[in-house]
Amino acid sequence: MTVHKLTIEPSDDAIEVAEGQTILDACLRAGIYLPHACGHGLCGTCKTQVLDGEIEHGEASSFALMDFEREEGMVLACTATLKGDVTIEADVEEDPDARKIPVRDFKGEVIALDDVTHDVKNVRLALQGDAIDFQAGQYINLFLPGIEGSRAFSIASPPSDNTHVELQIRRVPGGAATGYIHDRLKIGDRLSFTGPQGRFLVRKSRGGPLLFLAGGTGVSSPRSMILDLLEEGCEQRLVLVHGVRTQADLYGREAFEELARQHRNFHYTPVLSQEPDDSGWAGERGFVHDAAKRIFGGVFEGATAYLCGPPPMIEACIATLMQGRLFEKHIFTERFFTAKDCVEKPKSPVFRRL
Amino acid sequence: MSAKKLGLKQRYAHMTRGLDWETSYQPMDKVFPYDSFEGIKIKDWSAWEDPFRLTMDTYWKFQAEKERKLYAVIDAFAQNNGQTGISDGRYANVLKLFLTGISPAEYQAHRGFAFAGRHLRGVGPRVAAQMQSLDELRHLQTQIHTISHYNKHFDGISEFSHMHDRVWYLSVPKSFFDDARSAGPFEYMIAIGFAFEYVLTNLLFVPFMSGAAYNGDMSTVTFGFSAQSDESRHMTLGIEVIKFLLEQHPDNLPIVQKWVDKWFWRGHRVLGLVAMMMDYMLPKPVMSWKEAWEIYYTQAGGALFQDLARYGLRPPKYADIATAEAEHISHQNWAIFYQYTHAAAFHTWIPDAKHMDWLSEKYPNTFDKYYRPRWEMWGRMAKEGKRFYNMALPQLCQTCQIPMGYTEPGDPTTIAFRSSRFRGETYHFCSDGCKDIFDAEPEKFAQSWLPVHQIFQGNCGGATIPDVLNYYRLANGADNLDYVGSPDEKLWNEWQADKLKTAV
Repeated sequence: MTVHKLTIEPSDDAIEVAEGQTILDACLRAGIYLPHACGHGLCGTCKTQVLDGEIEHGEASSFALMDFEREEGMVLACTATLKGDVTIEADVEEDPDARKIPVRDFKGEVIALDDVTHDVKNVRLALQGDAIDFQAGQYINLFLPGIEGSRAFSIASPPSDNTHVELQIRRVPGGAATGYIHDRLKIGDRLSFTGPQGRFLVRKSRGGPLLFLAGGTGVSSPRSMILDLLEEGCEQRLVLVHGVRTQADLYGREAFEELARQHRNFHYTPVLSQEPDDSGWAGERGFVHDAAKRIFGGVFEGATAYLCGPPPMIEACIATLMQGRLFEKHIFTERFFTAKDCVEKPKSPVFRRL
Repeated sequence: MSAKKLGLKQRYAHMTRGLDWETSYQPMDKVFPYDSFEGIKIKDWSAWEDPFRLTMDTYWKFQAEKERKLYAVIDAFAQNNGQTGISDGRYANVLKLFLTGISPAEYQAHRGFAFAGRHLRGVGPRVAAQMQSLDELRHLQTQIHTISHYNKHFDGISEFSHMHDRVWYLSVPKSFFDDARSAGPFEYMIAIGFAFEYVLTNLLFVPFMSGAAYNGDMSTVTFGFSAQSDESRHMTLGIEVIKFLLEQHPDNLPIVQKWVDKWFWRGHRVLGLVAMMMDYMLPKPVMSWKEAWEIYYTQAGGALFQDLARYGLRPPKYADIATAEAEHISHQNWAIFYQYTHAAAFHTWIPDAKHMDWLSEKYPNTFDKYYRPRWEMWGRMAKEGKRFYNMALPQLCQTCQIPMGYTEPGDPTTIAFRSSRFRGETYHFCSDGCKDIFDAEPEKFAQSWLPVHQIFQGNCGGATIPDVLNYYRLANGADNLDYVGSPDEKLWNEWQADKLKTAV
């Protein structure tokens, strides 16, 4: 299959576009948001300037994309396909905090393998060869022997420890890759991966308190981010709320509590949603968003929130934050676009990223 | 090293920033007297994100090319006698309904956005509202060209502008826009910009435009494409407005919620005319109203309100009732028009056997049980020379102004009646939705110009049918009554005969 390179200015992102794939589809799948609405060439919301290269307009309506615009090199991203390598200038939000770190191939040896709960394993890899440069919050794509394709896992260790990568991996019932890690992986094994990936990272340029809301192993990115911030001497208020079902699912507690004792600006709250009433647990109960609401008195204005975890948790947290006056600009989540997201569920254009 | 290139957003900001100013000869509150009485609080107008970034210069360029393309098609349609290629003479009545019901409303929308464009304090929404104002004027103009063409052949549209202020069923869309235009600028933006242009517009435009495509009316299809490229801008504006108001201040939420509830219900009532058009008037039907409601409201609106729920906004009150009514509304509306065709500016007919089977298939829960028997009875009466006309003037709903022909939720054999007392008078409503709207602003709706009341008060040229038709400027025996036996039918049959002759 022919693949063309699409470069997006001003961010200078470069992505691969398959023959017949539209610019919009390729961008969304690569996590690059372009404004769009109708999706089939009628409304003109996704209009984009081509700077270089040849494209096919596809079914773009002659009313949504005018002749004079075609002459000026405008295209509709939702219908245009590439005939060669192309550079476009898109309406992409500039992100002053995102560094452009090229994705590379790495090899790592498993040097530690710990069961941190009944279904979560902590995997520590020592890199062979070059150290890895990444921003806290990013993830890697891990390859496992005999398993097709790669699996994405967030890096739980801080960027300063650049000769190691630590992953926290929950066993997905019936999952081939996580099953392999839990049942067959052993110390001394060598795994290859590519990275770093993703745009889930701390917007350090913003200032103000930082709120990390994590569910289950979703705490790995926030862990890396918090360790990174504290190492840098960040003095902003940092709040981590980590939600799991029961005490048996909770991990990393001692380390976070120790960190909270050392740093007065860091606050750590574990919260349990299904802990039995008579277990003697004296901490917070309920869901992550409930605990966040109590801690902040329901008002989040001025903070920036980082959400990482299963979709229902993210959704509940977004609603709580918005009703507490914190809106899309100040909320970051880890989100991947897949074919399923684009096709199945009718989506409203109210929010761009969330 | 060259300077870093600016993003589109920053470039647009540099080009447009600071074009407005703080007035000094007069206080800003006097220059913008209408943007505070509604209770909406705006802390920071500059937080408005202009969703289009369209400069006036580019806007003119766009619209000029759209016009050139559209008029080329309209001219070609006229020169090739496109009107003879439509699916059936009955289709002309769909156009009559659109051109008399919606086209004057485009003009109302033009005026409303001009008002909002003058009276909103922030420069971003002001420019957006002004552009939309011009779009709406353009839509009206292109539709008048369509009127001008079809008027050469078909009855019922020559007095569209005069009729807008007088005819009983045209008061339904008219009162909708009058209500919006006499509100403050923020309510107008939520009413027309959000509720109408975003939530309900697909239920208006898609059925008419795809109906036109299915029925051979290429001039209307092209208008649809030309308008849709404006509509996307209008829809984006509607979304931006509601987000902006909800993010600016927590006190705005209950006010916006009240408007969303009100304008959803008012819009739903107006769209009942589209429902009947889709189910009964298209010679080649596209999809049923119930299917359209499922796609464009239940699914698309569902996704929308699910996202807006994050702000604490709930789906419109009575949305569940509106969804349940999708099983009934088209049948009840067409029945109203069938009974009162003698006072309407388009023709009606009883659906033929094939069409009734289509309705049975599309409405398995309701059509055979409640509506088919009535059409069959009226069909038999017409055959016996006793075509049923309702000679009594109907009671109108004080809010939506539609005759009180709708049934109770969950009981399609009982007519729904609601009433409220205000300043010693009793006011009547077709539904809880319409009653709530009145009860929230009784001073406003007590002043409604209700066509039936006006006839009884002697303000419509007299009390007989010819008097009222005269007042409406409807030509008795041409503009009104059944399609069968009308001059439209005669003309259509002549065209068909000519075609046969040519073919031979």
